[in-house]
Amino acid sequence: MERKAVVGGRWARTPFALLGVLASCLAGCSTTIVRDAPSGDPGGSAGATSPSATGGSSGALGGSANGAGGSSSVNGGASAGQSTGGNSASSGGTGSSGGTGATGGSGTTAPPQSQCADQSAVMPGRAPLRRLTKVEYNNTVRDLLGDTTQPAYALPTELSGNGFGNDADQQPVPEVLAEGYESLAADIASRMTASPTLLGALDACASNPTSASESSCARTIIQKFVPKAYRRPLATGEADDYAALYQSVRANDTFASAIAAVIEAVLQSPEFLYRVEFGVADAANPSLKRPTGYEMATRLSYFFWKTMPDAELTAAAERGDLGTSSGVRAQAERLVADAKTRDTVRFFFEGLLPLTGVTDEARDPLQYPSFSSAIGALMLTETRTYLDYEVFDGPGTWSGILTEPYTFVNQTLATYYGIPGVTGDSFQKVPVDTTQRLGLLTQGAIMTGTTVTNFTNPVRRGAFILNQLMCRNLQVPIGLMVTPPDPYSAATARERYSLHSKNSACAGCHQQLDPMGFPFENYDAVGLYRTTENGETIDASGAVPDMDDGEVSGPLELIQKLAQNDEVQACFASKWLDFGYGQTLNGGSPDDVCTREALAAKFREGGFNVKNLLVELTQTDGFLYLGAQE
Amino acid sequence: MTTNKFRLSRRAVIRGAGTIAIGLPWLECMEDDVKAQAAPATAQRFVGVYQPGGTVIDKWRPTGSESAPVYGTILAPLEPVKDKLIVVDGLEMKSAIGEQHQSGMVAFLTGAVQAVAQKYSASRPGADSASLDQIIASKISKNVKPMASLQVAVRWATGKSHGLLSPINALNFEDTTANAPMPPRLEPSEIWTALFGRLSPMTATMDEALLRKKSILDFVDKRYTALATRMGASDRAKLEDHLDKIREIENGLTETGMPVIAACKPPTLIDTSDYNAKSGLNSADDGSLKDTQTDQAIPKVGTLMMDMLVMALACERTAVATLQWSDSEAKHTFPWLNLSEHHHYYQHDGGFNAPACEKIAIWYSQMHLHLLQSMAAVDMGGHTLLDESVVLFGSEISDPPTHKKQNMPFLVAGNGGGLRTGRWLKYSGGSHSNLLVSILNLFGDSRSKFGNTQYCDGPLTSPSLT
Repeated sequence: MERKAVVGGRWARTPFALLGVLASCLAGCSTTIVRDAPSGDPGGSAGATSPSATGGSSGALGGSANGAGGSSSVNGGASAGQSTGGNSASSGGTGSSGGTGATGGSGTTAPPQSQCADQSAVMPGRAPLRRLTKVEYNNTVRDLLGDTTQPAYALPTELSGNGFGNDADQQPVPEVLAEGYESLAADIASRMTASPTLLGALDACASNPTSASESSCARTIIQKFVPKAYRRPLATGEADDYAALYQSVRANDTFASAIAAVIEAVLQSPEFLYRVEFGVADAANPSLKRPTGYEMATRLSYFFWKTMPDAELTAAAERGDLGTSSGVRAQAERLVADAKTRDTVRFFFEGLLPLTGVTDEARDPLQYPSFSSAIGALMLTETRTYLDYEVFDGPGTWSGILTEPYTFVNQTLATYYGIPGVTGDSFQKVPVDTTQRLGLLTQGAIMTGTTVTNFTNPVRRGAFILNQLMCRNLQVPIGLMVTPPDPYSAATARERYSLHSKNSACAGCHQQLDPMGFPFENYDAVGLYRTTENGETIDASGAVPDMDDGEVSGPLELIQKLAQNDEVQACFASKWLDFGYGQTLNGGSPDDVCTREALAAKFREGGFNVKNLLVELTQTDGFLYLGAQE
Repeated sequence: MTTNKFRLSRRAVIRGAGTIAIGLPWLECMEDDVKAQAAPATAQRFVGVYQPGGTVIDKWRPTGSESAPVYGTILAPLEPVKDKLIVVDGLEMKSAIGEQHQSGMVAFLTGAVQAVAQKYSASRPGADSASLDQIIASKISKNVKPMASLQVAVRWATGKSHGLLSPINALNFEDTTANAPMPPRLEPSEIWTALFGRLSPMTATMDEALLRKKSILDFVDKRYTALATRMGASDRAKLEDHLDKIREIENGLTETGMPVIAACKPPTLIDTSDYNAKSGLNSADDGSLKDTQTDQAIPKVGTLMMDMLVMALACERTAVATLQWSDSEAKHTFPWLNLSEHHHYYQHDGGFNAPACEKIAIWYSQMHLHLLQSMAAVDMGGHTLLDESVVLFGSEISDPPTHKKQNMPFLVAGNGGGLRTGRWLKYSGGSHSNLLVSILNLFGDSRSKFGNTQYCDGPLTSPSLT
């Protein structure tokens, strides 16, 4: 994906350079740590990006991280594929602490001087062709034709791709999908033309056309409907093509059927199903391309609302308002305030957090008599309600989301948690016992969603934080047999998982994973607070890896540390980039790295406000400009 | 054989004659390759069946000898078709590298490496990323039959796949596009309609509707063609791939009626309204609960799926099909076996429960018996459908508590391509990719490596499948 030379090495030190410290895990553990999908090696970090670094080079990896201070190799180090080396854990430890110091990976140290700070160079990144996702298709036909049946749920499932199901690079078209589009289009078109009233909704002329007026009426509908569906004005000849299709069907069939044929064709056309961008030369710098006004309206609309542009966006495009960053910002501020953005934010969190499975979890009823899948569903509502309130009605910051002293419960869930004084079925905001819980991560849905059996698994919980909240992307080691310990082998999880620290082959990774997971041992497999397990007091101490003063005595301290951690904040912005731009941003691409860094800086300047972050996502080079055609 | 307004396109006839010996007399007459008569006829159909969660090896492994195996409890239900079966024992799924279950899903039919959990490897050096079934489909079915291949699944996308296609659940990979997993068809009534909906004689109205559909698809075809030329190479490839699939639909429409084939007897479409094929899908939006009603309907729906699959072959709708029982999550219950926890729970989520896993494996053998007996009951003109087919049965792991990929429990059935059945073949740790390439050879593809070549030594020789 690397299409241009590195610009003065200026991308080398970013908050993501912290990822170099992952070499510490590589050194001690036969595992795979992949940061994105490195396709190039722009930093020139020889060896570090080798898919199979062996033996002695493990030590070299640690050294690479260690020397990360001014070296551009650190990103490459993070993108190392697979180490089969069995170097000692201690060498990894060295690399780890060195990396930390060099890159300022703690919450208290000021972030390093940016090397992407040169504002004069525009780095737009990629703009691959995107197909509408199922959710986008549903919303688009709702706004285009008033079809509220969410028909696209009948389509085959999408690839998870970047974790949000909208990765432009992972949208293959199996035949069953093409068939699905065909049958959806036929179905929608026939429903939308089923009566004179419905035809009249397309244009008044169509409710009662005469043989003399039919063909001009069809033309009227085409000129009204197709540009909306294409999300741009029609080019010369396009209306004629549709008129010809209308005529050829009308020769053997009814007026309604011929109009339906036009709709059916539109709904299968690439201009409707794909977000096509050709762009225009930037007025200020003709060597650069910006999306056209209509293409920008489409970008904005699908980013905030997951649907086609509304009339106001289209008008702004027509006026030429969307060719400047301020014009885009003005619309972004309008869009983010609309209720439709709430659905998009919810969708994001459900891709980020282990939420969707929570209603499926089955637990041993003897061991957990008060838990049921119905409780799981209430937990999901709790977290959804909390996030929605927090982002749109509350303080709205990511650090706040992680630490608020309240949650939302109804009577049943309050009883389950042991919160007194809540009655009724509706969810209400209640303070939590701040000696037991704080913010999002201690909620039942997260604690239950990160547990897949009747026994908590600190590794799974640690991996969730490291991967989804810190973007470290640790992977299950290749070729290593991973078997959770016998649940009856010891009283507490810390003892059961103690093999990790004893076995040096495991320690490299697990010295990150386990200290992040153990603090959550105060929450059982169904999200209830506990201080003992099998009669033994739980030691809930742990640490945020590679963070100065990162040791914690329990979950509440851990939550506070995470909320102050640069890596956690930068990761949140990065996940939004992947989701918002429908890609997997590439740690090997200078454009993507600088876009990430610019956004992380904006996020920090905005006090980690989420709505502000969404607006800033429209102000990056990646959003305002158009990369080369692929 | 008579046809009812049946028209086989010239291209299809040419391809048919050039690549396969279809088991129909009038096409056999067209076969002009004399040498092909001497060698065993190539296999005509391929069926792949996936069962999640491996087996209990000491209950699965036969005793006795190669030619006189004695089945243990898990294979015992297959006794009636023993002479049509090869038990392939002792192979290791060496290419299954990556996440414990997912890598097995990826490798089962591709012999390719996954490498990264939750994802597909961006590049798999030396690998043909296509799955065996799709390569066979390109060879014998695409543009010859109305449907290039059929993928169906029962109780699919359970658990943590979040309703999305992922290495947790995908088995089939496109032959024409790299790293493109294919979603299976799920809804029984939709599958029935797609397969058998146009078997009745054409009416004038149906002719008109087809004509209209052709005009629309022809129009859409031109839109893709025109737009593709304006794109860069990679985006153009996306649109051209989409166009290719639209043309497959168009290709299916050129046939304006179905041939009358004596063996073609579409199954009755039973009521499956108690079965929610999409249970577990789209869960990001509605959050789905444990669906015991749908679980209860699995045996009924599974049987219907197998019946439809067999008739899809007998009715010449396609020559390649795969059936997926659930996915590697296997998070559904077995109420008809009185097992109220999900399969993964018995595999290891709740600690390895060998008796439960054995019970489940026995049930899958009973289901597989139904498939093989149904194929053996179809007379294709002097021989049975099973005689001309190759049916591969396998899983993503062998041993549930450890996720091991040694001693994979594979079964190969049918006599397509000269398979010598009725045997128990013992291998000591060869790669399962060798089995895949051996199967490919039965279809007249002479390549000696398949998948990631480093995990493939070549076709199985001692003993060989034929």
